[in-house]
Amino acid sequence: MLPKRFDQTRPFATLGLILLVWLFLPLLVKSFTRVTFFELQAPFAAAQSYVQDLQEFWALRVRPRNELIEAGRDLARLNASYELRLQEAEQLKAEILRLENLLKLSPLPAFRFEPARVARRDFTGWWQRLVIRKGENYGLTVGAPVVFSGGVVGRVSEVYSYTAVVDLITSPTFRLAASATGDTRPVSYQGGLNDSFKPPRGTVEFVPLDIYAAPGATRRLVTSGLGGVFPPGLFIGEITSLEPSTDGLFKTGEVRLDERLGDLTEVTVLVPLNPQE
Amino acid sequence: MSSLLVETHRARHPRLLLFHGLLAGLVLLLTGGLAYRQILHRGLYSERERLQNQRRIIVPGPRGNLYDREGRVLVGNRPRFSVVLNLAGLRRELREEFIRVVRNYREAAKGERPNADQFERIARAAVAQRYLDEINSILGRSEQVRVRDLDRHFSQTLLLPYVLLDNLAPEEYARLIERLPVTSPLQVYTSSSRFYPYGSAAAHTLGFVGVNDDPIADDFPGDDLLTFKIKGTTGRAGLEKKFDAHLQGETGGAIYRVDPAGFKVDLPIEKRLPVQGHNITVSLDIDLQLAAEQAMAGRVGAAAVLDVRTGEVLVLASKPDYDLNTFVPRLSQDDASGIEESGGWLNRAIQGVYPAGSTFKLITAIAGLRSGAIDRETSRSDCPGFFMVGNRSYPCNAHYGHGERDLTGAIRDSCNVFFYKFGIETGADLLAAEARRFGYDHPTGIELPAETHRMLVADPAWKLKHLNEAWFAGDSANMAIGQGFLDITPLQAACFVASFARGETETRPTLLHVANRPPQHTAPIGLDPADYAAILSGMEQGYQIGTGRLARIDGLRAATKTGTAQKRTPQGTIELAWMLAFAPFDNPQIAIAVCLESQELDASFGGGLYASPVVKAVLEAWKEKQEHPRAPDPAFKVGL
Repeated sequence: MLPKRFDQTRPFATLGLILLVWLFLPLLVKSFTRVTFFELQAPFAAAQSYVQDLQEFWALRVRPRNELIEAGRDLARLNASYELRLQEAEQLKAEILRLENLLKLSPLPAFRFEPARVARRDFTGWWQRLVIRKGENYGLTVGAPVVFSGGVVGRVSEVYSYTAVVDLITSPTFRLAASATGDTRPVSYQGGLNDSFKPPRGTVEFVPLDIYAAPGATRRLVTSGLGGVFPPGLFIGEITSLEPSTDGLFKTGEVRLDERLGDLTEVTVLVPLNPQE
Repeated sequence: MSSLLVETHRARHPRLLLFHGLLAGLVLLLTGGLAYRQILHRGLYSERERLQNQRRIIVPGPRGNLYDREGRVLVGNRPRFSVVLNLAGLRRELREEFIRVVRNYREAAKGERPNADQFERIARAAVAQRYLDEINSILGRSEQVRVRDLDRHFSQTLLLPYVLLDNLAPEEYARLIERLPVTSPLQVYTSSSRFYPYGSAAAHTLGFVGVNDDPIADDFPGDDLLTFKIKGTTGRAGLEKKFDAHLQGETGGAIYRVDPAGFKVDLPIEKRLPVQGHNITVSLDIDLQLAAEQAMAGRVGAAAVLDVRTGEVLVLASKPDYDLNTFVPRLSQDDASGIEESGGWLNRAIQGVYPAGSTFKLITAIAGLRSGAIDRETSRSDCPGFFMVGNRSYPCNAHYGHGERDLTGAIRDSCNVFFYKFGIETGADLLAAEARRFGYDHPTGIELPAETHRMLVADPAWKLKHLNEAWFAGDSANMAIGQGFLDITPLQAACFVASFARGETETRPTLLHVANRPPQHTAPIGLDPADYAAILSGMEQGYQIGTGRLARIDGLRAATKTGTAQKRTPQGTIELAWMLAFAPFDNPQIAIAVCLESQELDASFGGGLYASPVVKAVLEAWKEKQEHPRAPDPAFKVGL
């Protein structure tokens, strides 16, 4: 009777044993296992992403030629305007360098721009993350800021050999030092609990009492640059409401984020040139 | 075999029945005991469990702000950023560190081995230092954990976060919020401290706060629980003290369940956020206050400026003073000694009592006119520079004499001889009664703690009672020019000039601003309009060409009366420079009283020369504001 019963409970006993072993495994082994598991998963995510890219490529191939010509023409115009902006940027850079030398200011942190395709989006109530198709192979580092044309995307939280995980600005675990446009005082921006099909939002805290915002008179929130991770002036979102906190010292409020954050396909990682800064 | 088994396990065996009975009895006893404890004494044990496992934290609410009449913050709260270590999340880490420390000692140390308590202290200091090093690397600092503070925190306030670094600069706070993970036991924490944007301006009036170790928990539940209180503040002087209950914030707090070691378990059972106290709009005008104080820089004395119509105090300055920001977070011994040595603790505007000097001649004139001793048309004196009372000579301020003076001229030139003569004719009782009618014998009742009661308006009865001496004509002569047994505060003098400018007898000063406050009305001055005009004319001439001319500014008609008085101090006799003024002459709106003390013994210190610049500075600032009024702040709401 007893051996038969043991046969029946053997799977549970094995599971219990495995869990027990896992519980007592050293932390190093556990994290190694976890990383290995992610590394093994990575090619599938990347392959899926490449297939999607291919899908899009073939979808574009079937577009009428006229449309492609028009798109090419628009792109050429855009490129021309960007050429002009590039020249302006070069002039501004030279001016900034001159002023920095004149005022003996330490230079702002320098970054290398690393564009990366999004391989997977992972949006839950607890965290909001992207997996991008570049990792250690392109020199990405943990903590590196990630941006897109609409402003801040997030920060690299994990780096693997060929992929990296980006903690999105909408995630409750994401926080940075920001400031309202036209004001230099730092405030704290933090992501919120964002539902899947609702516009992304975040919260702002420690806002000085003399800053005002309302749904009809929003205030732009940008990175302050004081935190040392993000360069200054990157767009975060629009402060839509501010209310005095109960302690009377600050205001707290809501920030409306860019809705394109939910369907990003390409982002740019700002890789610090001098990480020790 | 089977029959044997059946026999062996026979259920009704007598011995078994006995055993069952015994067992049932024991179970019944246990159940009964359990029921007795759990049901009958449920409340008692539940209460014991609650007291043992719950802790209460009391967080005082920030104090309300003080605004000037135009909505500028005079006293506010400044956020104080600190980085704290949340110890509740470190239990496992502390335990591991403890084991590591013990193991290291066992392997390496050969000398005396610390006891368990010392091991624990070493382990917790090492853990705290590890986190502090993380902060150091972000901020580029090299701070060390204060082991004694940490030990005290563990033994007394374990439930509260431990402050690793206090008073962070905004840039440091920004770096930390960006670089510390949201889930880290290290967190940026904000508290409030008092902030005085104008430093020492109106220091005595605004007052300061001191640390309060026992903030009132109001109606927050859990009085019987072991409670940790975050220190609050209590008003110790000035308006901070007077309106302490109004400014005091509403206390918040939380009740946590703790484990046997005293660490927090889960979220709070009960929580209430602290709420800021009520704001107060004071009647001061910081522009005028700063103008007066700048003009008084380096001097000793006081100035008071009132709104003639409402009695609202626009300026209340006392020098020397102190920078209110030195009281945050607490006043150092050196700063306290510095204030003590300079005499800065005394609020001379309401606590300094001084002879009124020649400013009292206005009251002498009013008393003389009301009693008939002075006739504005016929009363004259020929001033040779002195006045003989019996065989004693009383000097005039003009050594070679003013010549013939009527009432208006005597006021303009502040001729003592005129007022000696007619003061004696009026009589001491009437002079004293007139001074009392203008409120010189009692405190003004301003909303400040510790206003002096030592003001004095003496008369013959007083002298007889207190000094057991008769009143002489010389006493009346002295009193007529504001010397002798007469002491008032600068604020009383300001109230007098405001009352006089309205043609009334008393002004109740207030430091609270109310928009559209109705004008004050007290008993009328009781003078014939022509008599009243004669005094006013003397004051205006004093401002234009007389003793107050140094206060004159173009484009503003005003009235002044200067005064010089002597005061005996333990060190010797000092001179006082007085000046009273109101403006504009036709429609009085502000009343000013300034009294400065000479800083050298027996030095000549005339009111016209020394007090005039202060009056002039206030008049200029006031005129500037009338011509270029400040745009009102739409968000500002006036109220107590």
